Amino acid sequence: MIRVRGMRKAYRTGKVVNEVLRGVDFDVEAGEFVSIIGPSGSGKSTLLHAIGGLDRDYTGTIEVDGRDLHSLSDTALSDYRNRSVGFVFQSFYLLPHLSILENVALPAVFARSGERLDHAAASARARDVLEQVELGARTDSTPTMLSGGQRQRVAIARALFHRPALLLCDEPTGNLDSKMGAQIIELFRRLNADAKITVMIVTHDPRISAATTRTLRVEDGNLFDEGTHRPTAMPEPATPEAPQ
Amino acid sequence: MTGAGLRRVVAANIRRSRNHFLLASIGIVVGIATFTFFIALAQGVRAVVLGRIFPLDQLEVVPKSLDIAIGPLALGTSTLGADIIDDARVREIEAIPGVQTVYPKMRLTVPSIAMGGEALIGADLRSEIVADGLDPALVPDDVAPGYEFRDFDAEPGPATACTEDAECGKNMYCGVPAGTRLSRKNRDDDYGKPPKGTPTVCRHYVPVLASDHVVELYNGALRRAHGFPKLVPESVVGFTFELVIGSSMVGASNKDHLVRERAMLVGFSRKAIALGLTIPVGYVRRLNVDFGQPEDAQRYHSVIVMVPEKDDVAAVAKGVADLNLEVADTGAEQAALLIAIFTLIFALVSAVIVGIAAVNIMHVFFMLVYERQHEIGIMRAIGATRGDITRIIMGEAATLGMFGGLLGVGLAFAASFGFDWVSATYVPDFPYKPTTYFIFPWWLVAAALGFAVSFCIFGAFLPARRAARMEPAAVLSGH
Repeated sequence: MIRVRGMRKAYRTGKVVNEVLRGVDFDVEAGEFVSIIGPSGSGKSTLLHAIGGLDRDYTGTIEVDGRDLHSLSDTALSDYRNRSVGFVFQSFYLLPHLSILENVALPAVFARSGERLDHAAASARARDVLEQVELGARTDSTPTMLSGGQRQRVAIARALFHRPALLLCDEPTGNLDSKMGAQIIELFRRLNADAKITVMIVTHDPRISAATTRTLRVEDGNLFDEGTHRPTAMPEPATPEAPQ
Repeated sequence: MTGAGLRRVVAANIRRSRNHFLLASIGIVVGIATFTFFIALAQGVRAVVLGRIFPLDQLEVVPKSLDIAIGPLALGTSTLGADIIDDARVREIEAIPGVQTVYPKMRLTVPSIAMGGEALIGADLRSEIVADGLDPALVPDDVAPGYEFRDFDAEPGPATACTEDAECGKNMYCGVPAGTRLSRKNRDDDYGKPPKGTPTVCRHYVPVLASDHVVELYNGALRRAHGFPKLVPESVVGFTFELVIGSSMVGASNKDHLVRERAMLVGFSRKAIALGLTIPVGYVRRLNVDFGQPEDAQRYHSVIVMVPEKDDVAAVAKGVADLNLEVADTGAEQAALLIAIFTLIFALVSAVIVGIAAVNIMHVFFMLVYERQHEIGIMRAIGATRGDITRIIMGEAATLGMFGGLLGVGLAFAASFGFDWVSATYVPDFPYKPTTYFIFPWWLVAAALGFAVSFCIFGAFLPARRAARMEPAAVLSGH
């Protein structure tokens, strides 16, 4: 599904050039549950953004389902992000002036290929996805009315809106306490196991890494494949927290 | 991005940032209000000045004259040009491209006096008059209902003898037969009263058309000086008065004999002489011949040339000059130029205000783009193209411009009502004082809205470009 070859990426600050990725090669097959670990500033998020089509300022090749992301136009790449990829960020990035339902349905506004949903159909789809993340009763709330864990689940619902094949998660539990974090990881695990969605998680947390089936470690600009392993169960998630 | 989706996103963003937008739109509102107010004022003033005072769609063509000034002596002569306009000249003028119609005018060349007015203003006035003769076929729409403007004495039929007006029909009076010459006694105040025993017959009044200028001059100046009542043009129609042709307040100008007529005002016309009386050309022709030469029957002193398209006026004026005639200077061109300059100055002032507002809008949008950079990043992450981001920012700017424009136009309307109210309430009457000084044509409203939207879009262009060029990975990761 994902084929990365010779990927290099450098950040320039004035005359100082910091090469964070120095020729990275790896493959991820459809349906894998992969964690990317490494120290801060090692290029984990950079790698994830490049795979998600958010960053094209790199050398080398990233192919997703046979498409070289570098060769795509802005429109095609936007369509790829809209249809094929779901992003979950540490800071949630929900739009505070929109309701939960509107946040989740926002990808429908930017759809330009395949099934284009009208407002009613997009709202119905958003309700379904919110049900999946157990927030079906909070559709009219705004993000500020929710807890951190709930906000992240809204962000996950938004990422799942177009039923993507690939879910890219950048420190998704970084702003959550361990209990909420465990719930979120359990949600990813279910999506991977039940919906066969390929999940890639950037994390510092070894427990999250242990909960995935494969770990990639980025260090000193290089990527080390630590191979597949049997996932370790995260601590038993408690019942979803009450709304604030 | 769908249109409906764009509208929803734009509406939500505007609701959220309404305070910023409210502040940003103040300049647009003021600029558009200024633009609309002054252009509407210029349109209104132009309509009065060029429509009523100096009608620009009609030119008065006169024989070319040459003014020679030698020291204190100034001579006006027309001998170097064509000193008369006859029927052949009229046909040549009609052939000039852009000319719709030509109205020959024959001036009464005999000194004359008008007397009367007690029934109308409570006092008899007596005034030296100037009169023009016009073809009745050219002013059918200017005659008030129930009246006629034609030469009733052109083919006099059998006269009905009478002793008083009541014996005659509507719009008729009992007087001496048409063309009766009355002898003058050697007194300057002799107005040719018919001697006793002179036969009298029922006659039609000489129909008279007047220019609006006459009533405006009376209402704006004369009535104040004498304490007379204000006149409404419609109420003056039907007013009758005496005409004494061949008599003058300047004794030396008196003729040997007089002709007395009674006249009736039958309407107002823009084609009428500005300060004087306009009567059917047949009366003027007979009187000019009676007091002058037989060839005076074919001499026109000017023609009114109707030019429906203002753009053709210059070409027609040149065609007239080529015929060795000239266009009488009515002041219309100077007035039009002044109005154009006035309009241009205020349009420029408005453009400066709106331009400054556009810079303000640019700042506001730069600030909003900075504040929303994560939001823009996440929109890009979920599928927005650079074009979508541009459209969202531009959509907000266009909406801001539309609302600012509507508010500005509304403010201009409100200010115009206030201006008119103050004028009607506190400003004394003056000639041509209009009931409203403003005209708001549809194109002005459309231009004002287009102007507002364009400047807002112009102001938002650079911020939108910056937003569209943001790298989503950079803004989401903070690099």
